[in-house]
Amino acid sequence: MATNSGAQRHRLLNFLATVIVISSGLVTLIGLLSDDGSTAADTARFLIQLVTVIAAVAVLAGLVNLVAVHLGRFVRAERGWPYSVLVLVVALVVGVLRILDRAEVWSGDLEGEQISVRVFESVQVSLESALAALLVFFLVFAAYRLMRDRVTVWNALFSLTVIVVLVGWVPFEDMDVLRDVRDWVVRVPASAGMRGLLIGVGLGTLTVGVRVLIGQDRSFRD
Amino acid sequence: MTPDTLDLIAGWASLVLTLLVFSYLLGDNVLYRIAVHVLVGVAAGYIAVVALESVLVPWLNDTLLADQGARSDATMVALRVIGAVPLLFGALLLFKLSPRLAPVGNLGLAAVIGIGTAVAVVGAVAGTVIPLAREAGEAVGDSALDGIVIVVGTVTTLAYFQYWAVERGGEIRAPRLFRPLGAVGRLFVMVALGALYAGAIVTSITIFGDVIDAQIRFILDRVGG
Repeated sequence: MATNSGAQRHRLLNFLATVIVISSGLVTLIGLLSDDGSTAADTARFLIQLVTVIAAVAVLAGLVNLVAVHLGRFVRAERGWPYSVLVLVVALVVGVLRILDRAEVWSGDLEGEQISVRVFESVQVSLESALAALLVFFLVFAAYRLMRDRVTVWNALFSLTVIVVLVGWVPFEDMDVLRDVRDWVVRVPASAGMRGLLIGVGLGTLTVGVRVLIGQDRSFRD
Repeated sequence: MTPDTLDLIAGWASLVLTLLVFSYLLGDNVLYRIAVHVLVGVAAGYIAVVALESVLVPWLNDTLLADQGARSDATMVALRVIGAVPLLFGALLLFKLSPRLAPVGNLGLAAVIGIGTAVAVVGAVAGTVIPLAREAGEAVGDSALDGIVIVVGTVTTLAYFQYWAVERGGEIRAPRLFRPLGAVGRLFVMVALGALYAGAIVTSITIFGDVIDAQIRFILDRVGG
């Protein structure tokens, strides 16, 4: 009996979720296709703003989960717990610095300084740049392994294109033909392939979107 | 402490963190993991700050915490109800953490999916499919041969990614017409991915050069070079 009522409750909640998806989706779609300034367009803009706020709440919920996971690792002294402490301390420092910036506590030469922004620029930008710089080694190694492990027509074509485009970037003297070949490869066949891929992605998005909006795709309930 | 001292500290921090990341070239090690966890910590703190300062606080100030001013009581009630709606939907997402209560959490997710899907559909059609199809068609006007290659490349790439299949002799295969078209499309896909890959290599080489240049300049400034 209890199982039956539980199943009924689940069905009702899933039905409500489907109704919310279809109604909010259709109202937004109509609004986005309406003229600026119309009621429908204003409603769509308002709904998008609602989603932005929901997404911000979701981000905070995700951060709460991150903190809970790392606190758990620390409390249980699991393997790698010092790294968890590092994550928590650094996140806390950034938050506290931002609060101090907002409270304008800095005085003397530091008056008006945004120290949290400086920390972000020196730490985040440095780390991301270093990671992006590191990528070059792995990209080159992956291309080498592609040809070493299995040579096929398609792998060879891929590698040949990589080489042609890279060589075209090198400023050789009196070798404009290499640059011209690179320009043509990028402008014609590569751009045709990219257009095909992007149009495919667009059509795929459209198909899935329509399925969701007419209630055919309800995988979000899983 | 002066802003110059802050710059100096930031410079040393940047140098040390860059070296920690580059230590990965010797293999996964403690120094690299420290750098990555610092990255996660800073990103988490910064994302929380941005979400609060740029989205949630302005929203709360404009709705739930708004001053009445010349507004009527009914308007204020409506404003506060509207202000609470996204917070309620956001709070519902927390139910997704429990398998038993997940269907309640789906209600919060439903609004995001419905509105997000509508935005994605309009964006895909107006921002991707129509402009790209038009550009592919217009390319014929610039240079006939190049234009034909672009149109053929675009169409065959799309043909390569179709999933119609027919059963023949117990075997499921692509229809006969699509096999050669798909092969030509695959050629264009490989060239496109190769060009993108080369672009990624060039970009990372440029970043590598910039990072090394910035750090060497910092060291030379310190030693007076």
